[in-house]
Amino acid sequence: MFELKPVSDRVQKIRQKYRTTRPRIDINRYRLVTEFYMNNPQLTGILKRAKNLRNIFENLPVLINEDEVIVGWVGTSYRCCALYPETSFNWFMKELRAGTIPLREQDPYDIDPEDEKYVLETGDFWDKNQMSAIVDEYMPRYHRDNMIGNGVLFFGAKDNCQSPVGHFVANFWNATQKGFGAIRDEARDYMAKLEEEGLQGDTIFKYNFYRAIDIVCQGIINWSKRYAREAERLAAIEENPERKAELLRMADTLDWIMEHPCRNFHDAVQCIYLYQMGMILDGQLHGISYGRVDQYLGHYYEQDIANGTITPEYAQEILDLFYLKVAECNKVWSEGATKSGPGYTSGQLMTLGGVDAEGNDATNPVTYMMLQSSARLVLHDPPQALRIHEGTPDELWEAAIECTKKAGGVPTFESDRVIIPALMKRGLPLEVARNYCLHGCVEPGVGGYEWCQPGGTGTESYLNIANAFLLAINNGINPMRWPGMEEAPSKQTGPATGYLYEMTSMDQVLEAVKTQFDFFCKWQCACINAWESMSSFHMNLPMISATMDGCMDNGKDVQCGGARYNSTGNSCIGLGNVADSLNIINYLCFETKKCTTRELYDAIMNNWEGYEELRQIINGEVPRYGNGIASADQFVEFTAHTYAEAINRHTGPRGGFSAGCYPVTANVIFGWFTWTTPDGRKVGDPLTDGISNVQGMDKNGPVSFLNSVLNFDQSLYGNGTLCNMKFHPTSLRGAEGNMKLRSIMETYFEEGGMELQLNIVSSDTLRDAQKHPENYKDLVVRVAGFSAYFVEVFKGCQDDLIARTELAL
Amino acid sequence: MEEKVLTGKLYDIQGFSVQDGPGIRTTAFLKGCPLRCPWCHSPESQSYEDQLSWISMRCQGVDACDSRCIKACPKGAIELGGTRLDAKTMEELQIIHVNRDLCDNCGKCAEVCHPQALYICGKDYTVEELVQRLLQDRKFFKMGGGVTISGGECLTQPEFTYQVLKRLKEEGINTAVDTTGFCKWEIIERILPYTDLFLYDLKHMDSEKHKAVVAVPNEPILENARKIAAAGGKMQVRIPVIPMFNHDEENIRKTAEFCKELGDAVTVIQLLPYHNMGVSKYMRISDKPVAEATPPSDAYMQKLKGIMEEYGLPVTIH
Repeated sequence: MFELKPVSDRVQKIRQKYRTTRPRIDINRYRLVTEFYMNNPQLTGILKRAKNLRNIFENLPVLINEDEVIVGWVGTSYRCCALYPETSFNWFMKELRAGTIPLREQDPYDIDPEDEKYVLETGDFWDKNQMSAIVDEYMPRYHRDNMIGNGVLFFGAKDNCQSPVGHFVANFWNATQKGFGAIRDEARDYMAKLEEEGLQGDTIFKYNFYRAIDIVCQGIINWSKRYAREAERLAAIEENPERKAELLRMADTLDWIMEHPCRNFHDAVQCIYLYQMGMILDGQLHGISYGRVDQYLGHYYEQDIANGTITPEYAQEILDLFYLKVAECNKVWSEGATKSGPGYTSGQLMTLGGVDAEGNDATNPVTYMMLQSSARLVLHDPPQALRIHEGTPDELWEAAIECTKKAGGVPTFESDRVIIPALMKRGLPLEVARNYCLHGCVEPGVGGYEWCQPGGTGTESYLNIANAFLLAINNGINPMRWPGMEEAPSKQTGPATGYLYEMTSMDQVLEAVKTQFDFFCKWQCACINAWESMSSFHMNLPMISATMDGCMDNGKDVQCGGARYNSTGNSCIGLGNVADSLNIINYLCFETKKCTTRELYDAIMNNWEGYEELRQIINGEVPRYGNGIASADQFVEFTAHTYAEAINRHTGPRGGFSAGCYPVTANVIFGWFTWTTPDGRKVGDPLTDGISNVQGMDKNGPVSFLNSVLNFDQSLYGNGTLCNMKFHPTSLRGAEGNMKLRSIMETYFEEGGMELQLNIVSSDTLRDAQKHPENYKDLVVRVAGFSAYFVEVFKGCQDDLIARTELAL
Repeated sequence: MEEKVLTGKLYDIQGFSVQDGPGIRTTAFLKGCPLRCPWCHSPESQSYEDQLSWISMRCQGVDACDSRCIKACPKGAIELGGTRLDAKTMEELQIIHVNRDLCDNCGKCAEVCHPQALYICGKDYTVEELVQRLLQDRKFFKMGGGVTISGGECLTQPEFTYQVLKRLKEEGINTAVDTTGFCKWEIIERILPYTDLFLYDLKHMDSEKHKAVVAVPNEPILENARKIAAAGGKMQVRIPVIPMFNHDEENIRKTAEFCKELGDAVTVIQLLPYHNMGVSKYMRISDKPVAEATPPSDAYMQKLKGIMEEYGLPVTIH
């Protein structure tokens, strides 16, 4: 039985602080980075990034809060966030000048007036020095001249680097077992050898890389030692003898780790946390994930328990405190972007369970401790992903289902059976693929060994295939008509594939869709490659490269292809909209001939105005995708495969691309900018979520729904698929309910499903929570790629969540 | 002359039917029932005929559809009714009302109601159509799961139920029959070899009271239960616990004694506390007010469970 054990008073106190502290903007990092960039225009490339980071490590104030055991922070107040001007800063300056940041409805932040003044005085420096400005200059000419306004790609005329690389997992085995002292020494040995050889040929590039590694490794060691000194200082003035001893133990750990291999569980937890915070300080707080936490922490725990040097309760408390530290991390996003990853989330995903390199079950005590912390603290952050395979123990299944009931959607369930072969399809050997973890939202990759860049460029890696579909039936013209526009748009941004009313067979429609998909997938990859050409020069990541398998051997940064394995991820949005729209065209115009292609075209272009009856027919009597009806599901495979095959055939500077289908909540935002679609959707309504059907159109229950989504080969989606299911709590009560839930998930995985995430909460509860948020402060729900506190999610997204059909009896 | 193809009349099919027998099941609900239980949460299951149903929440208002249903009705049975507030647009919609005295369930209005606020409840399937639909879900039939044939009272469509069960057995599917037990023994005898489990309702041990409330006596029900047990059939006994009807300790004890008599045939006894979730369904097919009671408390259900367990019976509360 999975039982929740009581939480210690101090953990409770910190949790309370976490839930009640409104985040602030802290400008310490901003000030250091801005001054460094202003004073060092002579530095470029990898050395600039390395020295910039070391400067932060050595000069950022240290902060140890009351009751903390796991320490290391980005600023000087609890739950504050740092600023990262190097990537994209225009939006921030705009919002800061407008004064809206503390007032916004979603994720507001406070800022000290003095700090605000400093940023306003210096912020314009970043106008030409941010990555967005650099990338904009290098976008392909054809894209710039002919494709702006297509509504399919997120790349546009400017601000083409809205988020940092993010979505990666460093090698935490090397960080804990090797230590950065050894890596630094290795870099110095390489440099001495290259100097002796006279830096021949292109080895000078390797030499520069090793120099950067030396700098950042020493930097993070110094940072840790500064924290050790702070712990000693606090110990000296501490009156409580127990806390005093603890602070001294913390000082000992902080003095030792980072430079040397970790000795015990506490060392290891502090080490992985501080390492992650180091990468965050480098500017990458965007879905950067922790990988297989139970795998690299498990042996430390078991060794300490065997030695009798730690109690299970204290170890669990350390894990609680670590989780609360991760939950504390957040980042200010643009007001628009808060609608995509709402609820101050930083998406530092952790993976648990799964198999080892030989294929045996890898569960260990830490696996259960991770679920225990999430469930008993009701924390949506950090998100967790559980790898399921045939040998997943019964107790782990039960613990995970109980946890997902408590902390809505944590963990998500991932299938080894589908994901491992999907990774092998992109060239990973079996033993390596078995070590995969999930990145960011749901993206599989072998963290620490593979630079799979699953988030691609970040925001720009989403492809709106619903809009590509609209271009296919509108001669390559985006029909999106903005408010105030009198005439229908006429700018052609995609191939001229004709109009729906000219098409006389379903084959012609499909051909047009394929042409648009191929075209936009090609340009999607081309634009990402243009972005990568610049980010691999200006935004190297030596802090990650220090541990990433392959980089030290190759003498190359991860961004330049140094990792052992490489790929780039992508994600489509609107799969259900396209599949169902094709179904509707086929049913209405070609099979039953209930309307002509002309009528349907006119209805779409008029946003159903004057065609309300047709819309009612579509929403009422046409068989729809999501109900296990073969005729209605027949275009899912075409849609899913056409996109995936188009993406998967392209290559980037480091290797291939990998298709995915997960939206975070970008399906809501993309919906705002997508014209009416034939599936009954009106302009502005959300697009479909993950691989699901159009919201509310699955009426035959979960089995039929899963029968529908199993209609395509998910192993083509090496970058992940996302399938959200909402169950009514009464249908899943007790141990038997848990078993039934497990059984339905097992069947989904056996039949080729990749990922499932659950919300076990009734729509009535959610509606009530909208009305009385004060009563539901701790209600955690799975929104999309993230879980969040329901009351902190913006209204449009709340509505979308309620609209997704509740699968129950 | 063309031979008439055997069909059965259903009102629903549900996958992931987690309350109707062991494991993950898909349940086929057949229409028509000889009993009239006042607490019935599927009132649409009682009549053997197609029935016009109306769900007010789906009605988009007569302004949106130009009163198509009103115009289509040859009997003048569709009238203007009240209004409802559309939650999305916050607009008051003028909706309709079905005059049940005039309506003959012809379905002409449903044909023109695209949002399917008006629809005909009841659909005919041939044996093979139903079997193929059920087999679609077979990969999910885990943990001893399979198909449940339910109702209404599915044994009032005996030939159809028999044929479907037989075909499912040929396919190796676990079968359950959810029944009131109120039918001729020969009907049950015929399906026994193709039925892995009966979900068998026992509503009251006193035949007078049984008849007074649900319209039929209980003797055939009890007799059939004994015969199923004697023939080696398995039963999950289900007792709907209805306040003011059968919830008293005396009746529960008598039911326990009867179950004891059935011996090994009873795999488990399920106590089903009354709930009022079916109340809104009455409004779909009728204007008649429906009796509503307060569901029994958890503590009271636990007490009844304890009583039955005194007899050494396996009991669960659903």
